[in-house]
Amino acid sequence: MSKQFFIVVILWIVLTAAGEALVIALTPFLLPSRAALEGQIVDDAFRTLMMLAVPVLAFVVAMLIYSVLRFRRRGEPTQDGPAMRSHGPFIAGWMLVSTALTIVMIVHPGITGMNALRAQAGKDVDLVVQVEGSRWNWKITYPQHKVISRTELVLPVDGHIRFEVSSTDVLHAFWIPSFRMKIDAVPGMMTTIYATPSKTGSFSSDHKIRLQCAEACGILHDKMMVPVRVLEQKEFETWLSQQVKVD
Amino acid sequence: MAALTGIIKGLIFALIGFIFGGGIGFLLINAAGRSGTNEPVIALGYLFALIGWLFGAGLWDAWGREWVGLPARKLEVNGWKRYFRFCTNHKVIGVQYLVTFVFLFLFAGLLAMLMRTELIAPGQTIMGPNTYNTTMSLHGIIMIAVAVATIMGAFANFFLPILIGAEDVAFPRVNALSFWLLPPVVILLLLTPLFGGFDTGWTAYPPLSVINATGSLFFLMAFITFGISSILGGLNFITTVITQRASGMTWGRLPIFAWGIFTASMISLTATSFVAVGLIQVVLDRVAGTSFFNASQGGNPLLYEHIFWFYSHPAVYIMILPGFGIILEVITHFSRKPLFAYKWVVGSFFFIVFLGFIVWAHHLNTSGMSDYLYIPFMVTTELISIPTGVVFLSALGTMWLGRLWLRPPMLFALGYLFNFLIGGVTGIFNADVPTDIHLHDTYFIVAHFHYTMMGGVIFALMAGIYYWFPKLTGRMYNETLAKVHFWWMFIMFNVTFIPMFWLGINGMNRRVFDYPEALGGVNMFVSIAAFLLGASFLVFLTNMVYSWLRGPVAEANPWRARTLEWQISSPPPEENFPEPPQVVGDPYGYGIPGSVHAVLNPAGSALNTGGG
Repeated sequence: MSKQFFIVVILWIVLTAAGEALVIALTPFLLPSRAALEGQIVDDAFRTLMMLAVPVLAFVVAMLIYSVLRFRRRGEPTQDGPAMRSHGPFIAGWMLVSTALTIVMIVHPGITGMNALRAQAGKDVDLVVQVEGSRWNWKITYPQHKVISRTELVLPVDGHIRFEVSSTDVLHAFWIPSFRMKIDAVPGMMTTIYATPSKTGSFSSDHKIRLQCAEACGILHDKMMVPVRVLEQKEFETWLSQQVKVD
Repeated sequence: MAALTGIIKGLIFALIGFIFGGGIGFLLINAAGRSGTNEPVIALGYLFALIGWLFGAGLWDAWGREWVGLPARKLEVNGWKRYFRFCTNHKVIGVQYLVTFVFLFLFAGLLAMLMRTELIAPGQTIMGPNTYNTTMSLHGIIMIAVAVATIMGAFANFFLPILIGAEDVAFPRVNALSFWLLPPVVILLLLTPLFGGFDTGWTAYPPLSVINATGSLFFLMAFITFGISSILGGLNFITTVITQRASGMTWGRLPIFAWGIFTASMISLTATSFVAVGLIQVVLDRVAGTSFFNASQGGNPLLYEHIFWFYSHPAVYIMILPGFGIILEVITHFSRKPLFAYKWVVGSFFFIVFLGFIVWAHHLNTSGMSDYLYIPFMVTTELISIPTGVVFLSALGTMWLGRLWLRPPMLFALGYLFNFLIGGVTGIFNADVPTDIHLHDTYFIVAHFHYTMMGGVIFALMAGIYYWFPKLTGRMYNETLAKVHFWWMFIMFNVTFIPMFWLGINGMNRRVFDYPEALGGVNMFVSIAAFLLGASFLVFLTNMVYSWLRGPVAEANPWRARTLEWQISSPPPEENFPEPPQVVGDPYGYGIPGSVHAVLNPAGSALNTGGG
């Protein structure tokens, strides 16, 4: 290893260490409040990808910084650089590392994350909620309890919920940011997504606990939102009992 | 007036065409017993108006007459008037593209300023939601067109033939046709606000794109027309590279920019027809009442998403590959070293073309498509980081031990590497299904693709402009203003778009006119940064306009670069090379004593090039 490349490696190690420390320190501020178990899988994947990205970013930045500082010429260069068209070990190392990193990312958090989400989705369902989008409102039906709500989405904490999402007109998308879960509402078909609220809370204290349309649907797209309220199981049952029953 | 006769004739023919086609549409509506729509009149009227426009603007004189046995009319105008006429010279067409698209870029940039003004505070600020949606959609589609066609249309047209030692492209009249398809695109897009605008964004997802205002029809027809232009351009560049290379310009000696154009053209030739078909089906659903995407009559909206992204993801690489070409070209000349790992880069370009076709469904991660599709598309998508990495390998390897000359093109190339790195790394978060379920359709995506499109493609475009400006215009720009532009744009670009990642993660979905109040502070910060970013282009525009008119005369080869375009005068002579050059070596022979790329007049004295 040449002395110059050795300096880059030192620079890379320093930048990587600083970057990883920054990721660990900043992640809690970067990731918003979380209110569902599934969100944990998403956040873990997010953190893993950040940790994997740091050394890559650091290496390119280290090479750029070193090259610009060390190899720049003030004014027009009077001679050419060495006629180096290739460098076997560097190319081989680069290809090996980038291929290995890609495979790592695909396996973890990619496939492992998908499997975790599928395992979570496969658990016994405690509650089915039908969510139907039409411009520009959501109709929420609790078919097991014959209850319909158009003004808010009320859910029990710790219940495993299957959302059956559909649309009557154009594409919409079901998104609750604090759950990290999203699925399109497509006319002519039903899509499903699962979530297990992990703590009580409501839109009034945190805007991320909302059911937001996330697929452009026209004039009031951004307003196509209903507040979400996650209650204790008992309170949820009380709420259900207070609603008008429909057949 | 001689300058405008083609345009005026085109407009008159277009009007006649519109009346003819519209009349047919009107008769068809009545014959079919349909009522309540005038869109068939508009669609058929436009189809014939487009044909009328093309024939009037010059297609008939330059080409059509030969189809009926008459001699084609040669264009007799010279000087600046040629730039307003149906001219088949590749350098004229290159300048036509460049000027048109720089203005479109600045116009769509102003639309972005309007959007950020609206978003500076929660609630309504300066416009209503429908105006906002139209502004957003227009910004999107115009910038897509800028990213697809500026480098290809301007630099590939002007420089590709010269770089390979040719006199012109393979099909000069097809080339002119590609350009003259564009004025109708611009006119249609500018008309959309008068017909209710359109609110789908540039993706035109049905059913919304079928049921919204008539402005959407104008947008769809514009997109299809642009697609035809893009297909013809791709066809032309592929044929040019295959058939027009000078003697001795073997594939292994092809400059890397030519490879970028060649591979990107493979995509525009083969993929664009898919999006055109998808868009035509949407138009038919609107205009003729078919039900390709109408679920209540057996159609399928999800089908459109597959068709659309089967083109539109490869299209990303139509934008990216020429940019890679410019960046690597600049880095090798301004490091005064041969391009590192040239063959690996060429191989990677082809690998990107191939992979680009099999990743489209990562745009459908929340669409409700079959569950077993997620992992295969995640795998193919993440594999793209390997060939993309090779571009960085080449750039970094080329600079290593080089003699770096930090002139404006090099600064933009370095800025590109940093921005595109961020864009690439954040792309992984969108390819990874678990994270994308949260991030899809949020400002995280907006930030990511602006890092690849603006931080990438536009920085490459700027590198190209500052690299080739002296050759294009024969004049030099102001160095200080160019450097001010770079630093201003580079810093404000990052200050503007980094916070958008946070906004997306924290609950701001995209294509919204309004957002939760808690996100107001960061949005105000982003808006102010965006205004400052926009202002950097005043420096650019001033420098360009002033330098083109009054700048000092440029020398033939201000960068002492070795490729062919720098071995002829600035601007190049009409026929590029007085006699066909003989290529005798590769274009990047820096550091090799006595290395020669090409001999310009093989028959005459030994006036060789690139020895410096």
